[in-house]
Amino acid sequence: MDFKLGEKEEALRKEIREFARKELPPGWFTLLLEEESRDEDWELAMSIARKLSQKGWLVMTWPKEYGGQGASYWEELVYGEECGYWGIPGAAMGVSGVAWVGPSLMQFGNEEQRKKYLPLIASGEADGVWCTGYSEPNAGSDFANIQTRAVRDGDEYVINGQKVWTSCAHRARWNWLAVKTDPGALKKHHGISILIVDMKSPGITVSPLLNYYGVHIFNEVFFDNVRVPVSNLVGEENKGWYHLMQSLASERYSLGPVLYGNVKRLLDELVGYARETDYDGKPLSQNPEVRHMLAEAAAEAEMLRLFNYQVTWELTQGLIPIYGSSRNKAFGDQLLERIGIIGMKIMGAYSQVDPYSKWTKLHGIIQRVYLLFPGISIAAGTDEIEKNVIGQFKLGLPKSY
Amino acid sequence: MDFKLSEDQEMLRSLARDFLTKECPKAKVRELETDEKGYDPQMWQKMAELGWLGLVFPENYGGTGGTFLDLVLLMEEIGKNILPGPFFSTTICALPILEYGSEEQKAKFLSQIANGTAIWALAIIEALGGYKASEVEASARVGNGHYIIEGTKLFVPNANVANHLLVAARTSEQAEGITMFIVDADSTGVEVEVIPTIAQDKQCQVTFNKVEIPEGNVLGGVGEGWDIVEFILDRAAILKCAEVSGGCQAVVEMTNAYAKDRVQFGKPIGSFQAIQHRLVDMFVNAEGLQYLVYQAAWEISTGFPSRLHTYLVKAKAGEIYQRTCLDAIKIHGATGFTKEHDVGLYFRRVKASEFAMGDSDLWEERVAAELGL
Repeated sequence: MDFKLGEKEEALRKEIREFARKELPPGWFTLLLEEESRDEDWELAMSIARKLSQKGWLVMTWPKEYGGQGASYWEELVYGEECGYWGIPGAAMGVSGVAWVGPSLMQFGNEEQRKKYLPLIASGEADGVWCTGYSEPNAGSDFANIQTRAVRDGDEYVINGQKVWTSCAHRARWNWLAVKTDPGALKKHHGISILIVDMKSPGITVSPLLNYYGVHIFNEVFFDNVRVPVSNLVGEENKGWYHLMQSLASERYSLGPVLYGNVKRLLDELVGYARETDYDGKPLSQNPEVRHMLAEAAAEAEMLRLFNYQVTWELTQGLIPIYGSSRNKAFGDQLLERIGIIGMKIMGAYSQVDPYSKWTKLHGIIQRVYLLFPGISIAAGTDEIEKNVIGQFKLGLPKSY
Repeated sequence: MDFKLSEDQEMLRSLARDFLTKECPKAKVRELETDEKGYDPQMWQKMAELGWLGLVFPENYGGTGGTFLDLVLLMEEIGKNILPGPFFSTTICALPILEYGSEEQKAKFLSQIANGTAIWALAIIEALGGYKASEVEASARVGNGHYIIEGTKLFVPNANVANHLLVAARTSEQAEGITMFIVDADSTGVEVEVIPTIAQDKQCQVTFNKVEIPEGNVLGGVGEGWDIVEFILDRAAILKCAEVSGGCQAVVEMTNAYAKDRVQFGKPIGSFQAIQHRLVDMFVNAEGLQYLVYQAAWEISTGFPSRLHTYLVKAKAGEIYQRTCLDAIKIHGATGFTKEHDVGLYFRRVKASEFAMGDSDLWEERVAAELGL
C-alpha cells in the first residue's frame, strides 16, 4: 500500500496552479456548467480551452496521434482536482467532448471518426465543442425509453424527435445523440444507436430552458427531418445501449476529481472566511458549531479524495471499475450539497447575495453552489440511479425498479 | 499510489480470519462477555504463538518485526470478528514502551508481552472522562527512593486482568506536568473494580491508594508524559478505527445477506429501494472509512509528518459505526433487536469505540485546528 503521488504528478499540480494564477481573474471560481450561460464567461472559457490545449493538458491521456500527450491516469486525476479547485473554465469544453465523447470514440468509434473528431476536441477550438442528447420528456432515469427516431434512408439517417435538458446545446458544434433505430425491438434497450449530429444541420431548433435561478445552461433540442450521413453512426446499430453505458461510466469517472477540487476550494474559502469574519467580538473560526461543521465536511472530503484515487488505481491495474464511479459521483454530490448548506449557514444573510453585486462575499461562490447542487446531483444520473448501480452491481442485490 | 496489500499482508489477514472464525465464534464472544476475566487465556497463548502480541516488535524483543500497517490489518480482522479481551489495551501500552522505554524496560516488558505472559492496561482518563492533560489529577510524589501514586482512573480497559498498568500521573502543577509510570498491578494499594457497560467489555475503575513504585518505573522522562500520551493517542486512535472499520464491514455483510434472503410481499427485501439505498449508504461509508484508516496507518508506518488524516478518521469513525449498526438493526427488523442476533453485539460496541481515545468532539477540534480554524 502506498498513499503518495509521484513527483511527476506533484510537479504537474504545481504547474497547473501557476497557470491558474496567471490566466484567471483574481478570486475566480466557477462551477461546471455555469460557464455556458453568459457570453463573456463562455468567451473566457474558450480562450482558456485553447491555452489548455497548447499546454497539452486538455486531453492529456489521449494518444499523441489524436492530440493528446499519452499522460497517465494519475496525471489526469491531478489535473481534474486542480481544474475543480481553481474552477478552470473551458477545461470540459462544454462538458461532453473531453470527458466522454473522445473516450467513447476511442473505445468504439471507427478510425475515420477518431481522425476527424478527436483532434477538433483536442484543439480547444469552437468546432470541438459537443453537447449530449440523452434525456427526453419521457426518458429521464428510464433512459432506454427514448423515442427520438432515426430512420435509414439510403446513405443517411433521418432524425425526428425531441431532446431535453441538453447542456451546452446553444454553444455546441456537435451533438452526441442517442436515438431509437429499432422501435420494434423486443427489449427497449436493444433498439438504440448513437449518432454524431452537426448542430448546424437544417431542421435543428435549440430552445433555451432557463434554470430556476435564471441561468441558461440547458436547452430543448428539436429534430425535424434532420439528415445525417450513415458514416456518423458510432459503434454498431442497435447496440448503442451498451456503448452508452460505457460513455456514462467515463462521464461519471471524470466528475469525481473535479468534485473533490470544488469541495476542497470551497472548504478553504470557508475556513478563510471564518478566520477573517468577526461576530460578537471574536472570529467565526472560534465558534464551536462552525469548527464542527467544517471538520466534519473535511473528513468527508478526504473520503471522496480516496474514493477517486481508488477508482483511478483500479484503472491503472487494468481493472474495470464496476461501481466506483457511481459511488464517487453520488458521494461527491452529497458532499457538495452539504457544503452548500454549511456555507450558507456560516455566511448568514450575505450568503444570499448575488455574485457581481457590491454586497457579495467570496464572489458569491457559496450561493452558486447552493443553487447549482441539485442540478449537479441530477446530471449524469441521479443519486438514486447511482445507488441502484452500486446496489445491483456491487452488493449483488436484486433490481429495485 | 497503490491500494494493494502485500502478499505477506494478505496472508496475515487470511490467517487472522481463519483463526478468529475457529477460536472465537460468536458463542465464545457471548461467553466472554459474562466471564469474569473477559478473555480466554488459552486463546491468548495461541495469539502469542501466532506472533500477534509482538507483531511490531523487533525480533530481539520476541517480536516479528511487522509494520504499524500490519497491526492495523490485524485490528481490522479483530473488529470484523469481535475478539473480547486485552489485545488492544496491551498493544497500546507496548507501542510507547517500544518508542520511549529504556533498553532494560524494552527487554523485560516487551518480551513478556510477546510471549503472552504479561497483560497491560492504559490508565489515563479520570472523573471528567476526557483526554486533556488538565483533567489528570492523579499525582505522583517523590518519596524515599520511590514514587507514591494517588488518585482514581476510570474506563481503564481490562485492568481486571492486567499485570501492569501504564499510568499518567501529575508530577508538577503545570497543565502538562504529567509523567507516565509503570505500575505492577499487584502493588499494595491498587484496587480494581469492573464498570458495567453496554459492551460488557471490562472497563475498570482503578484506585491508587498511596501506591509505592520504584523510581526506575518511569517511562520516558519525568514531565514528558503528555508527549507519550499524544504518541499513544494517535496510534491507538487508528487501531481503534481499524477495529471499527472491520465491525462496519461485518455488519454491512450480514445485513446485505439478510436483505437478499428475507422475503416479504413475495420479494427479497433488498429489492426495495428503501432498503437497497440504505444498504448502499452503509456500504459506501464503511468503504470510505476503510480507506481513511489505511491511509492514516500508512502515514504512521512511513513516518509521514502530518497527523491530519489520523484526526479525520477518529473524528468520523464513531458516527459511521453508529449509523451502520442502527440501519442494520432496522433492516433486520425485530430479529435484529434480539439477544440471539449478532448485529446487537456490534452495536453494543459502538460507544466504547467512540469514547476510547477521545470522542469525535476532541478529534474534530484537532481537525479544525489543523485546517487553520
